[in-house]
Amino acid sequence: SRLLWSDITTLLESVLELEILKPQKIELSCIISDIPNNPTHIIGYWKKNGNEIENSKQTVYKVDKQRFIFKRIFNIQVNDLGNYSCIFSYLDKQEQVTFLLKVPVMKDKRDKPIVSYVGDSVVLDCKIKRMPNTWQWYKSNGTEKVLINATADPMNYKILLEKNVTKLTVLNLTEEDAGKYICSAVFEIKSSESHVYLKVLSLIEPLKPFIGITIEVVILVTLILLYERYGRSRNDSSVDDSSGTDGRRTRQRNLVH
Amino acid sequence: MPSTTVTSLGYTPPDGGWGWAVVFGSFLSIGFSYAFPKSLTIYFKEVQEYFSVSYSEIAWVSSIMLATMYAGGPVSSILVNRYGSRPVVMVGGLMVGVAMVAASFGTTIMHLYICVGVIGGLGLAFNLQPALTIIGKYFLVKRPMANGLAMAGSPVLLFTLAPLNQFLLDNFGWRGSFFILGAIVLNCCVAGALMRPITITAKPPANQSGGDDDGAVGKTDPQARAGCLARVNKLIDLSLFKHRGYLIYLVGNVVMFFGFFAPVVFLAPYAKHQGTDEYSAACLLSIFALVDMVARPGTGLVSNTRWIRPRIQYFFSFSVAYNGACHLVCPLLPGYTGLVVYAVFFGLAFGMVCALLFEVLMDLVGAQRFSSAVGLATIIECGPVLLGPPISGALVDIFMDYKYMYFACGVMMLVPGLFLFIMNFFNYRWLKQEEHEKKREELPMGSARELATMEETKDSEQNIKLNQEKQLTDSDNKEP
Repeated sequence: SRLLWSDITTLLESVLELEILKPQKIELSCIISDIPNNPTHIIGYWKKNGNEIENSKQTVYKVDKQRFIFKRIFNIQVNDLGNYSCIFSYLDKQEQVTFLLKVPVMKDKRDKPIVSYVGDSVVLDCKIKRMPNTWQWYKSNGTEKVLINATADPMNYKILLEKNVTKLTVLNLTEEDAGKYICSAVFEIKSSESHVYLKVLSLIEPLKPFIGITIEVVILVTLILLYERYGRSRNDSSVDDSSGTDGRRTRQRNLVH
Repeated sequence: MPSTTVTSLGYTPPDGGWGWAVVFGSFLSIGFSYAFPKSLTIYFKEVQEYFSVSYSEIAWVSSIMLATMYAGGPVSSILVNRYGSRPVVMVGGLMVGVAMVAASFGTTIMHLYICVGVIGGLGLAFNLQPALTIIGKYFLVKRPMANGLAMAGSPVLLFTLAPLNQFLLDNFGWRGSFFILGAIVLNCCVAGALMRPITITAKPPANQSGGDDDGAVGKTDPQARAGCLARVNKLIDLSLFKHRGYLIYLVGNVVMFFGFFAPVVFLAPYAKHQGTDEYSAACLLSIFALVDMVARPGTGLVSNTRWIRPRIQYFFSFSVAYNGACHLVCPLLPGYTGLVVYAVFFGLAFGMVCALLFEVLMDLVGAQRFSSAVGLATIIECGPVLLGPPISGALVDIFMDYKYMYFACGVMMLVPGLFLFIMNFFNYRWLKQEEHEKKREELPMGSARELATMEETKDSEQNIKLNQEKQLTDSDNKEP
């Protein structure tokens, strides 16, 4: 079992996050000091996920001159992950410290979808700080999760497992491959999940703005050149444009427009 | 009559009219040339994951593009000397467009190196040089202003392309984005269409030793010059290497470029290193870009004034040195506010140098030889431009601290600034002496100082002449 404690030297509401990788016994202790009026004892109790734990209320006596230590051992199994708070009251006030017990979380989630094209391949990846036992990938179909088995379907999927990182390569993309992909870091106690959205576009999609912009360019270039030719033919009615300058002119004449 | 002989061009540049449309065209071309490689970095992460390569391998794409753009300078100059700006820019735009479309179908990273890096870079080179050259053909009196406005294209386009690229990436992935970017860069062809060639025959100046005249469109290789020696000299003006002012410019610039771009590249990483969050660090770059945007035309305006124009070389040296001073002070500024202040002052400094960079070159060698001059300059500057950021990065890695990099960059800019200042002081003196000797014999060519003083006095004269011309052609137009 492990010991975890929090040292509260100021009576402020505080939260501590703790990562639990496997089922174990954990002792949470709250150390309180510097209470005004210096009472001899305080009353404390524990809450789990906002609900008071039965029979957890106890009187806490001073350990030394200034400090009270209030602790309890919890047996953490898969269903026991959550928020644990030690609450103590003195005079008319109540203070608490909350411990958040959970599996490691993948923090950098992509909120934007990854975009790829039909026939192309794409690499989806997940990273986590602690090393899980293994990784698993799922594809989400509405509410269900379907496990992706790369060994059964090597033409379409490749999974790379590398300690803290996993990469899923989806090959030969089709439009059905679009959707939500879930990567799951499997720890002994529970799995931690993150998701990535994949968008698969057909090749026509970028073609539309491309053609639009190209047409705009062609129109502008044509207009500019026509304007110039029009201006020039009005100015020099006797000179052939294509042969360049024939006569010598010491002054530029296409100044005005 | 006398006004045409003042300039080495052999004619009076319009200094307005269609010239402003040309400035807009140059604005677009220059903007794409500088901003496009930088804005592509937004796709790097996606492409890196797709091809499963390291970050440095991806970064090569941008480096190759930039390198080719600079190295392609002389090729661009030769083509501009021969065919004029317009066809070169339009071909350049087409090249980049085709390159991006080809890249969107790429299957390996090498494919990207060649398409985006080499072909794209060359296409951008074909945009940059001609855009700069044609400003010198259309402007003389208001040239610093025109240059400042055109160079503002770089920050404005970067400001536009960066969020646009992000939008494209979110909606189309990197392949679709490259495909659409291929169409977007075709707008360089529109810019090229605006670069109407000046349709007069340029009189060959008396003591020009090489380089073709830039004639009108459709004009083939002009009058065979008696005594034209090396073939290369016919294509690009190598005699520039004997030009004292040009050599000073080159030496100063080569050293300066080592420390010029690195602080921009490291602004955001330095901020993050100091503890600011990503969003605030990005804000710093936006502040920098906004100040840069305003500083460039602002500098153009200031350097066009009577007091600065004749001493524009000093103004340039001052702005280079001012950059150096900013970098030296940067590590001493505390906190995020300090960084914001630095971003503002650095933005101003950067904009000043960029606005003047090519104006002073035109001022030194004259618009006629500018095309060759800028081509040779860019290929020589290629080295420091590419090596600067990696060397600075190495400094950061070795010392694990950004301040040594800033000190190094500061020195790299302060020293050339002072060098340019001192050397130009002597150069102005020597030029003045040479003028006095040649005054009654020949017309001074490429003599910046005399040019500027004559401009001061003939300013109003030219304006009157131009107005008269306008009225003339106006009345011409009215006749059927």
